[in-house]
Amino acid sequence: QSTIKWRMQTYAGPALAEHVVKPAIDTFNKIAGDRMQIELFFADQLVPTGELFQAMQRGTIDAVQSDDDSMASPTEVTVFGGYFPFGSRYSLDVPVLFNQYGLDKIWKEEYAKVGVQHISAGSWDPCHFATKDPINSLKDLEGKRVFTFPTAGRFLSQFGVVPVTLPWEDIEVAVQTGELDGIAWSGITEDYTVGWADVTNYFLTNNISGAWIGHFFANQGRWDELPEDLKELLKVCMEQSHYYRQWWYWGGEASLRVNGDKLKLTTIPDAEWQTVEDAAVKFWDEIAAESETKAKIVEIFRKYNSDMNKAGRPYRYT
Amino acid sequence: MSYELIAILMFSTMMLMLMTGQRVFGAIGFVAVIAALLLWGDRGGYDLGFSAAMKLMKWYPLLTLPMFIFMGYVLSESKIADDLYKMFHVWMGGVHGGLAIGTIGLMVLISAMNGLSVAGMAIGATIALPELLKRGYDKRMVTGVIQAGSSLGILVPPSVVLVLYAMIARQPVGQLWLAGVVPGLMMAAMFIIYIWARCRLNPELGPVLPPEERNIPLSEKLALLRAGVLPLVIFAAMMIPFVNGWTSLVESSAIGALAAFLAAVLKGRMTREVFEVSVRSTLGISCMFMWIILAALAFGAVFDGLGAVKAIENLFTEKMHLSPWMILILMQLSFIVMGTFLDDTAMLVIVAPLYVPLVQALGFDLIWYGILYTITTQIAYMTPPFGYNLFLMRAMAPPEIGLRDIYASITPFVAVMVVALVVVMIFPEIALWLPDLVYNK
Amino acid sequence: MERGLRVFVRLTDRFNRRVGRIMMYGIFVMMGILLWSSISKTFFLPSLWTLEMAQFAMVAYYILGGPYSIQMGSNVRMDLLYGDWSESRKAWFDAVTVLFLMFYLGILLWGGIGSTAYSLGHFGTEPFAFFGNLIKGFVTGGIDGANEVLGRPERSPTAWRPYLWPIKCIMVLGIFLMLLQSLSELAKDILRIRGADIPREAI
Ligand code: NA
Ligand code: NA
Repeated sequence: QSTIKWRMQTYAGPALAEHVVKPAIDTFNKIAGDRMQIELFFADQLVPTGELFQAMQRGTIDAVQSDDDSMASPTEVTVFGGYFPFGSRYSLDVPVLFNQYGLDKIWKEEYAKVGVQHISAGSWDPCHFATKDPINSLKDLEGKRVFTFPTAGRFLSQFGVVPVTLPWEDIEVAVQTGELDGIAWSGITEDYTVGWADVTNYFLTNNISGAWIGHFFANQGRWDELPEDLKELLKVCMEQSHYYRQWWYWGGEASLRVNGDKLKLTTIPDAEWQTVEDAAVKFWDEIAAESETKAKIVEIFRKYNSDMNKAGRPYRYT
Repeated sequence: MSYELIAILMFSTMMLMLMTGQRVFGAIGFVAVIAALLLWGDRGGYDLGFSAAMKLMKWYPLLTLPMFIFMGYVLSESKIADDLYKMFHVWMGGVHGGLAIGTIGLMVLISAMNGLSVAGMAIGATIALPELLKRGYDKRMVTGVIQAGSSLGILVPPSVVLVLYAMIARQPVGQLWLAGVVPGLMMAAMFIIYIWARCRLNPELGPVLPPEERNIPLSEKLALLRAGVLPLVIFAAMMIPFVNGWTSLVESSAIGALAAFLAAVLKGRMTREVFEVSVRSTLGISCMFMWIILAALAFGAVFDGLGAVKAIENLFTEKMHLSPWMILILMQLSFIVMGTFLDDTAMLVIVAPLYVPLVQALGFDLIWYGILYTITTQIAYMTPPFGYNLFLMRAMAPPEIGLRDIYASITPFVAVMVVALVVVMIFPEIALWLPDLVYNK
Repeated sequence: MERGLRVFVRLTDRFNRRVGRIMMYGIFVMMGILLWSSISKTFFLPSLWTLEMAQFAMVAYYILGGPYSIQMGSNVRMDLLYGDWSESRKAWFDAVTVLFLMFYLGILLWGGIGSTAYSLGHFGTEPFAFFGNLIKGFVTGGIDGANEVLGRPERSPTAWRPYLWPIKCIMVLGIFLMLLQSLSELAKDILRIRGADIPREAI
């Protein structure tokens, strides 16, 4: 029997993928051996990230690691992938939302409608600004050309931020060629890992979301063809990758804030930042008004966050 | 069939197809899509060609390409370089080979105003070449001077080749451009020394200008220097906002194009015909580049999909046990060999993605390597059978210059370039000093 | 047959030349967008749309201008052997090798049609059937009928979020014109083989 071969493309570049996906795929390949091998490709390598979804649906690539927003999924859930402003505070919020609050079921249904298998959701880092010039107040955000997620960009544009979306791999160069003034895409771990810390000077400690939501997907046909045990193995390895990220980012964020020497930290005072948090409440309403599915998801986010607030410390401190 | 074998097959098929003299982009594109179809078939193999078009669209620095091409055509077609040439003519006429030396000076200034070698070739062939031949300069030498001098266009900033390299190697364009300055000037100086020495030994190669032509009053001589101001203004209009971060790279290229256009208008040289030729040729040359890049991106994606990079890396380091320097030298040699056959854009998009990660893995500086790459490309521009400067020279040269002269003319200059390449390899500081100074890396 | 070929060549070349002559002024469109981008950035707030718009303009420029660039003979060839061949030998070789080009363009067109169908909301793998239904819908039910066939249209994943179908339609049209132009080149090569004297470059 011949080896099953899959091509998987992640939206992360090689340096980041070294942590966030490669270990899991290596593990899978080691265990599956002659039965199945996954070849891993990095951001924009086979197809541009904007075409990822279509390429997976058609089978140019068999599996994808990405958030819904960056790969422009044609689904109702796309705005919630990546960073949904103030949707979560900690990276553990994401698996809880998916496994205990029902998001997983909604995601699987929505992707089934467009012929794609949603395998599992995982969480990454919080969304902070890394910029060339310091940001100490909301006013400093005005006119900044910032690389960010489409939905985050839509939200941030009310504060004068000019969101720019470019191929992920081109960001470092784009900061240097002046196409960008900064990045609102990740936490500090990613800034250091992928080299953005070398081209920016300041890191804003306020974030617009505590955790990224991203997923593993597969082409429906390819997934259906897999024997059950390989499906299980794939799921387990992906869970392992989610787990790796939980501690890698959690520890990394704190450590680099304290020990990193490439980025100076700045903070917008809580009272002023409240304006942004208040704006998110309106933004949620706006999104909920767009469709029934979106309203349902926003309701889940509301319920979850209110539960967490009621639970008090250590779940929420304010 | 192993992936290595498929990769080799793809490459050799492409080479073979190129030999038939068909359009380069057609050959590359055909091999790319047929390989994608054979490998991936109904699993999306047919998408790969078009998905390269979407990739190209998102590659924003490519916007500089039509801008710099337009700039080059405006400069050459409007003949605003004539005054510059006159300046060098009078000032350098008294030296052995002085006019040829002046032509190199002219080429350096032209290089500072555009990102390719096309403009330098056009200006050199239309303004300098007839004058030099009229004064009895050796035809082989001056043909070489113009080809070699114009190739500086891709090493001295702004440079389109370095922009494309920057995108592939993910290196900062600003630093790469600065890294090209000193090697570019060094290479120009080496050309000049070569010309001067040869004409000292062989005065009939480049006779001194008759006294009546150069004994003009000092005031007039000084007035001629004003011609040198224009290139400086255009260069400054483009580079100052960019280096200061006021405008981005692509915006600066548009400012440069506008500045060249306005300069031609102000000097009264923007006639209807100049306008027509510049606009039309810009479309032709831009389309040529873009379609090659489009095809090469698809080829590169298939190559990547095969894991050809890993195969080559493996071959060099694991199987052949070569030292990093040996690999680097082998890579430069293979680049030069491939450069004789392949178009530089194709070479950059197909070969560079294989080599750049390797260079990085070996621990070399990618800014420095960008300069090595560019010098290799310059050599490739001039070496038969395939070289842009060769083609352009053939198209533009007056009838008394035959194909044999053109081929023969490049030999000493290619030798000088190889020396320059070796010097920059041994002394990386030549390239890295300026960017380190400015960016304090 | 010869007459037919000549008519085809004349019509194709004339049409593509006209398109190319319009597209060549696209250089000023790109320049204008980028200059506006620098101005707005320096004096007002930077615009959301400039970079992406310039990219769209660039794509339209080189894809729709492509056929005219073929007419002008701008595409480089490796002429190690080719350069020394006689006109008829060149024509023979070209008549064969242009088929490779047409194959490449055909695949490009195929992918482009699929991608355009996707951009109009077709998530399946039957783009041709989709366009068939779209046309049928339009014929039977007008705009509303066509709308029923359309799905969720693709938008660029940027904050500006432009719809992508217009640029994809332009790309498909341009690739189709390229294919027509290569057919015309083939026709010219056949005419050359039959002894006609047709210039290899025309501006
Ligand atoms: Na230059
Ligand atoms: Na060459």
